[in-house]
Amino acid sequence: MQPLRIALAQIAPRLGELEANLARHRELLAEARAGGADLVVFPELGLTGYLLQDLAAEVAMRIDDPRLTRLAAGTAGCSAVVGFVEESADHRLFIAAALLEDGEVRHVHRKVFLPTYGLFDERRFFAAGTVLRAVPSRLGVGIGLAVCEDFWHLAVPQLLALDGAQILVNISSSPGRDVAAVNEVGLGTATSWRTMMRTYAQLTTSFVVFCNRVGVDESVTFWGGSEVIAPTGEARFSAPLHDEGLYTVDVDLAELRRERIALPLLRDERPEMVLRQLERIVLERAGLAPDSTAEPGAGPGLDVAPEPADARGRRTA
Amino acid sequence: MSAKALFTLPPELAIDTDVARRIIAEFIRGQLRQAGFERALVGLSGGIDSAVVACLTAEAIGPERLLCVLMPYRTSSPASRADAEEVVGRLGCAGTLVDVSPMVDGYFGAAIAGVGGGEASAVRRGNLMARMRMAVLYDHSVTWGGLVVGTGNKTETLIGYTTLFGDSASAFNPIGDLYKTQVRQLAVAIGVPERIITKAPSADLWPGQTDEGEVGFSYAEIDRLLYWMVDKRRSDEELAAMGFEPGFVARVTRMVATSEFKRQVPPIAKIGPRTAGIDYLYPRRRPGSARRSGG
Repeated sequence: MQPLRIALAQIAPRLGELEANLARHRELLAEARAGGADLVVFPELGLTGYLLQDLAAEVAMRIDDPRLTRLAAGTAGCSAVVGFVEESADHRLFIAAALLEDGEVRHVHRKVFLPTYGLFDERRFFAAGTVLRAVPSRLGVGIGLAVCEDFWHLAVPQLLALDGAQILVNISSSPGRDVAAVNEVGLGTATSWRTMMRTYAQLTTSFVVFCNRVGVDESVTFWGGSEVIAPTGEARFSAPLHDEGLYTVDVDLAELRRERIALPLLRDERPEMVLRQLERIVLERAGLAPDSTAEPGAGPGLDVAPEPADARGRRTA
Repeated sequence: MSAKALFTLPPELAIDTDVARRIIAEFIRGQLRQAGFERALVGLSGGIDSAVVACLTAEAIGPERLLCVLMPYRTSSPASRADAEEVVGRLGCAGTLVDVSPMVDGYFGAAIAGVGGGEASAVRRGNLMARMRMAVLYDHSVTWGGLVVGTGNKTETLIGYTTLFGDSASAFNPIGDLYKTQVRQLAVAIGVPERIITKAPSADLWPGQTDEGEVGFSYAEIDRLLYWMVDKRRSDEELAAMGFEPGFVARVTRMVATSEFKRQVPPIAKIGPRTAGIDYLYPRRRPGSARRSGG
């Protein structure tokens, strides 16, 4: 089987400079295609920069925006994933990832989980997506798109894999933080992401493709470290931290078949069982059904009854 | 050269200095590029913080784009000046010296009868020195054509051991999220002269003054406490269980609380539909904001 050539465009987008970023995307897309890439992946908000705040509305594009159409035109004979601000017909702004193939916008994923805690303030400026689905692609396998924080929620990789994705693509603008000397790769953020991506690849027996930006927006520095992880959970490629570049890696899709036959975790998933439990949990948490697993005396939607705690905050019972 | 030999480093504060230097270099280059500047300047006191910032800036953009400004007052330690001059010499960057004594003494002189200039307290004198140095730095930022790089560390920022609009004023700060002991680690890694790393930190406002003497505890102790209290969100009870003396915890907690205003921009009375910092929120550098197109 012909290897699949993936190009990771680990770039430093310019904040708010849509035209400059579009030009850079077109340039790298052409370079990757000339190098024989089948799939070219750009980071989250690669067309706009990350810390936009009130600039978000000024750089937003509709899906039929001619600038996006023109970028898509550069994908004849290949696939690309790009990140941008999407404005819907009813003027909501989304952090979006588009799959561009053979000159067309094939699919748009709207970031489902918007972090609004710690250094993040996304929910203030953006609407959250409500749909998660895998899409067929010209590569002959299903693609599942996710954006950054989407991967900090277990259901996302699982649902994408169950829906037919064999390549999970996560595009990110992940700010690097925590330089404690004890971290595996010198950066706490990188250590966490690496652990997650290997776990997801193994549990979904899928390829995980991660493209994270580099460069600086205001106070935060993005750490790069883009990766391709095989369905065995082993890293096939790890880009350097902080270095801008177009990194190319070949993967063998036969590896996915071998792993899924040897380790049929996906075959053994029980979505109907999961669904029943989720329906029960949703009703119970909403207080619409008696909580079958709650302690006596627990309030509606709560599993645990209030109890006196000792001075140290420990439960006495 | 071993870090342990030069200072006390609590293990939880140990950082990967290679990664920290890389992040800081990206940060410095990014700040300048976004603002459309190629040069930077640092007020160099002879102490460790400004020495580290000068080295980091030279590492990020090259020493030829850095200006170090030495701004002693007449009572400043001559050793500090010698240490600052050694940093300039080692880096091979531009350096200039501005004596702030006439500015400070001119203000506190007889000319301002009525505000007690003659017997001004050390705090007033220290604050004015810091603000005069800020004014000199910002004037040089015009002639040098560069941005002022801040040198305040996380420890002094959190306990409020800074002068508002004085030493805390800068265009950007590369070490403001590093505790003093972590700055020392960086100093060792980046090759700051050993004498600067080992001497007692001092605001140098009067002869013999030291930070640790004035504040009453060592940087190793306070950094460790701040790390668990602020970064790791430990409660007073949890801190006590870890062995921190409750009186020490209470004193530091109060210093942090009472200096909250120093870490924030002044509030604007909300009156109109869109107010800067409240519901008019833009990146501080955005398209059209650079004074010229950056590289």
